Amino acid sequence: MKKYLFICLSALLVAASARAAAPEEIMRSSQAAFLYQGKDFKARVVMRLTGKTGAERIRELTMLRKNSGAPGGDQKYFIYFYKPADVKDMTFMVYKYPKKDDDRWLFIPALNMVRRIAAQDKASSFVGSDFTYEDVSGRDIDDDAHVLVKEERLGSSDCYVVKSAPKEGGMDYAYKLSWIDKGNYLPLKEEYYDGRSGLYKVFSADEIKTISGIPTVTRRAMKNLSSGHKTEAEFTRVEYNTGIEDSLFSERFLKQPPKKRIE
Amino acid sequence: MQRQTLVEFSVKHPRLVLVIAAALTAAALALFPGMKADTNPKNMLPPDSAVRVWNAEVDGTFGLYEDMLVVGVVNEAGVVNPGTLARIARITEAAARIKGVARSDVAGFTTITNVTASAGTLRVAPLMGRPPETPEELEAFRKDLFGNPLYAGRVISRDGKTTAIYIPLEKGANGKAVADELRGIVRAEGGPEEYYVAGDPVARDTFGSIMFKLMAKFSPIAGAIMFVAVLVMFRSLVLACSMMAVAMISVVWSMGLLIGLGYPVHIMSSMAPVFLMAIATDSIHIFNEFSFRRKEAPDRRTAIIETMHAVARPVKFTALATAAGFGVLVFMSIIPVKVFGVTIAFGTVALRLLSFSFIPAVLMLTRDKKAGPEADAPGRGPGAFLRSLSAIGALRPRATVAAVIVLMAVSAIGVTRIVVNNNMVEWFKKDSDVRRSDAAINSALGGTSLAYIVASSDKEEYMKTPEAMRYIEGLQRRLETLEAVGKTNSVVDYVKRINLVLHDNDPHFDAVPGSKEEIGQYLFLFGMSAKPSDLDNVIDPSFTKANVWVQLKTWDVRAMREVMKTTEVYMAANPGAIVLKPAGTAYFNLVWNDEVLWDMLKGFIIALVAVFVILTFNFRSIGWAALGYAPLLFTILLIYGAVGYAGKDFDMPISVLSCLSLGMAVDFSIHYIARFKERLASMEGGGDVVAALLWTAERPGRGIARNAILFGAAFSVMLFAPLTPYVTVGAFIVAMMTLSALFTMVLLPALIVLFGKRLVKGNIRLS
Repeated sequence: MKKYLFICLSALLVAASARAAAPEEIMRSSQAAFLYQGKDFKARVVMRLTGKTGAERIRELTMLRKNSGAPGGDQKYFIYFYKPADVKDMTFMVYKYPKKDDDRWLFIPALNMVRRIAAQDKASSFVGSDFTYEDVSGRDIDDDAHVLVKEERLGSSDCYVVKSAPKEGGMDYAYKLSWIDKGNYLPLKEEYYDGRSGLYKVFSADEIKTISGIPTVTRRAMKNLSSGHKTEAEFTRVEYNTGIEDSLFSERFLKQPPKKRIE
Repeated sequence: MQRQTLVEFSVKHPRLVLVIAAALTAAALALFPGMKADTNPKNMLPPDSAVRVWNAEVDGTFGLYEDMLVVGVVNEAGVVNPGTLARIARITEAAARIKGVARSDVAGFTTITNVTASAGTLRVAPLMGRPPETPEELEAFRKDLFGNPLYAGRVISRDGKTTAIYIPLEKGANGKAVADELRGIVRAEGGPEEYYVAGDPVARDTFGSIMFKLMAKFSPIAGAIMFVAVLVMFRSLVLACSMMAVAMISVVWSMGLLIGLGYPVHIMSSMAPVFLMAIATDSIHIFNEFSFRRKEAPDRRTAIIETMHAVARPVKFTALATAAGFGVLVFMSIIPVKVFGVTIAFGTVALRLLSFSFIPAVLMLTRDKKAGPEADAPGRGPGAFLRSLSAIGALRPRATVAAVIVLMAVSAIGVTRIVVNNNMVEWFKKDSDVRRSDAAINSALGGTSLAYIVASSDKEEYMKTPEAMRYIEGLQRRLETLEAVGKTNSVVDYVKRINLVLHDNDPHFDAVPGSKEEIGQYLFLFGMSAKPSDLDNVIDPSFTKANVWVQLKTWDVRAMREVMKTTEVYMAANPGAIVLKPAGTAYFNLVWNDEVLWDMLKGFIIALVAVFVILTFNFRSIGWAALGYAPLLFTILLIYGAVGYAGKDFDMPISVLSCLSLGMAVDFSIHYIARFKERLASMEGGGDVVAALLWTAERPGRGIARNAILFGAAFSVMLFAPLTPYVTVGAFIVAMMTLSALFTMVLLPALIVLFGKRLVKGNIRLS
């Protein structure tokens, strides 16, 4: 009888802890901590794209983000390019909607022309890098089935390891494993698996700094193991809550972005 | 004398000789399980050869794949219909999942990038995201497909009936295996479409794999034919068995050595068994002579010793000539060719060793008294026929030589018509799957054979300048005027397309933009949205190199040579900051062909010299060597003349054969001259040349005829092979054996009668 009680109790305990760490909630918290911090966000980003031969391409840009509502909701992005040199002054704007296709606009300085760009796959490459649009702005949590696989230590952090499998086909990967820091909910590592060759892409958060009280991933990398291609991104001059106005995200400012916002 | 002792030893201890031979053979057989096969003809050139290193470098720079398959889909009613498009989508997806396929770079309707603009919105997306179903969707798709000049000839034929899916292979993938899987996938789809699987890897790997199977099939068939032929000729099971045994032992020893030394059995060395088996037929001269001696000598032992004594010299020197003909291949630069040459040379020496040990031993153990046919009645049977052949030359020497000279003049004209070319797809027969697929796709689309022209500059970012773009565009237009070039593709096509689309399809902007900034921004815009490989494949990250894709409608090496020549002329006429260099599979095939071909030609010349030197040594006379050389030279001249008249390309297989044929075609004249001289010397009171010639024709001549028939019979199996190079080999060897036997039997007596006086010392008569 005693033994029976013990089993019942431990079963209850397990159930309770599992609910506390419901994988959807972990991922939702992680997305909020990683991609929705602050009301708005600004950073200078340097991306190094390296091919398998070692040849390097540089992208340098200023990225501005403004959230419309709660984490997981709509966002607006404004990107100004410094490098490569011949695309200086090019600007790129994205209205991101988690539940439908994004709206995107591009300003082409050589033609002094703003063009709307039809949104494609959110899993397509972000400015030619190994990061996808989803890696930059997030994927709808409800699009995947999440399972808490295990909890383990990664470096000096205790992590949840969550397996997320897209509910619909058509994605490059069959599932993704994320190591989420239990303390700050930042993703420290992600592994992408496909059905044929197994692990083929790895994300890593290589440097985390606390800026204005917000833990921020300031260096990250995405390595494609099958193509040998990788992209490293470094975020500097990170600022939160500088009061970016809604009017910035307009065709007018795409053509002539205010200096203080893009520096 | 050493050989003689070997013969005596073998006659004394026949059983011991057989046991030793069996033991050595068993030892060699034990090495067989370690056999490694290399069916890839590409490996004729080692991975560190200049062309392979350069191609690998180009592949690396532009993220390309060494090999690509093409699946052609043909619907006579047009491919733009919901059923066909849905099938294409499914096939493309399934193809990408095959092991060995570089899945992210499979190019077909569902994956190829399209750039369009409508209502002020720019769209960079796969041409066909989802197979269209409604009439409106179909119409929109049709507009996209035919509205983009990048697609015409690449993924859609002008008549809209044919499309292609391009399937790049990862390193080390087997083209045949992937092609087989693709065939399975398209078969499962059914529908009214016809499907074709083509591309260099299909031809190459299919060839390699069929070649191995053929060799496994042909060697035993050739052996069986020889066995039956010997059985019919000598009516002796023991002789037939010992002949086969000698051939098999030499094959096992040679292949055992090759495997034991750790060399993979390459397509080239896979031919060794058939060659060795044919060379083994030379022992027929021993059996032939023995069949006469056995009746003349008092006992078996004497008959054997006398036989071996009579044939020792020619047998030794024909073996030497054959071994030298193959041995010179050691001086070639192509490794599989070297290995093949040494294998055959070794096998030939082994064969001769067996001729002086194993064969006498077997002859000794034979109980059957009658090891040979009955003598022909005088004036009848094969002996009389052979005699009459030599009589033509011996009795009408001037007319014979004149006739041969006319024949050679005609042949020489034929030789000048020879075209040097190679086409691997044409190694398959016209009605073969490989060839039909290739023809179907090539007639409708830009071509299955792919070459690259790499443009490079030492100026940073130079490829983004309008002048570089126009330079490349000019090259493309020039190349497209060549008949064999079906389609070219470069970064310029993308830039022009974006320029057009950003300017609302105003045809005025279907051109290279005027400034470097514009080009740079277009490329960036394209790179932002397209698949990374789209740009990588045509331009390098530093913008110092650009890659022009050139699709050829034929695998003719000649076509690639034309592309290269045109490129050079273009470069010379437009000096600038750009250097153009060819690369890609079509370029590799050209280099591969040239290297092997010229290497073989070099070998041919060395072999010619080597054989002449051996003849001189053999006869200890340059004059006799020259006479003995004549049948060989004329045989080869006649065959090449015929090749020229027939319009058959002088390709790789033929060049390989010419080299190999030398050491074998000279055999007959060695036997003939050696035995003739012996006979003449043994005649009392000074020899009667004509009588000696007629005796030679009748007796050793019979050995020659038997040898030619056996050799030809063994190789005639190849005439029924499904691969044309084998048919060529079969026809070539059969022709060579017949012609060199004929020249030996008819021309040689004429030459001896005309020039013999000066060569034969002592008292001779011409009756």
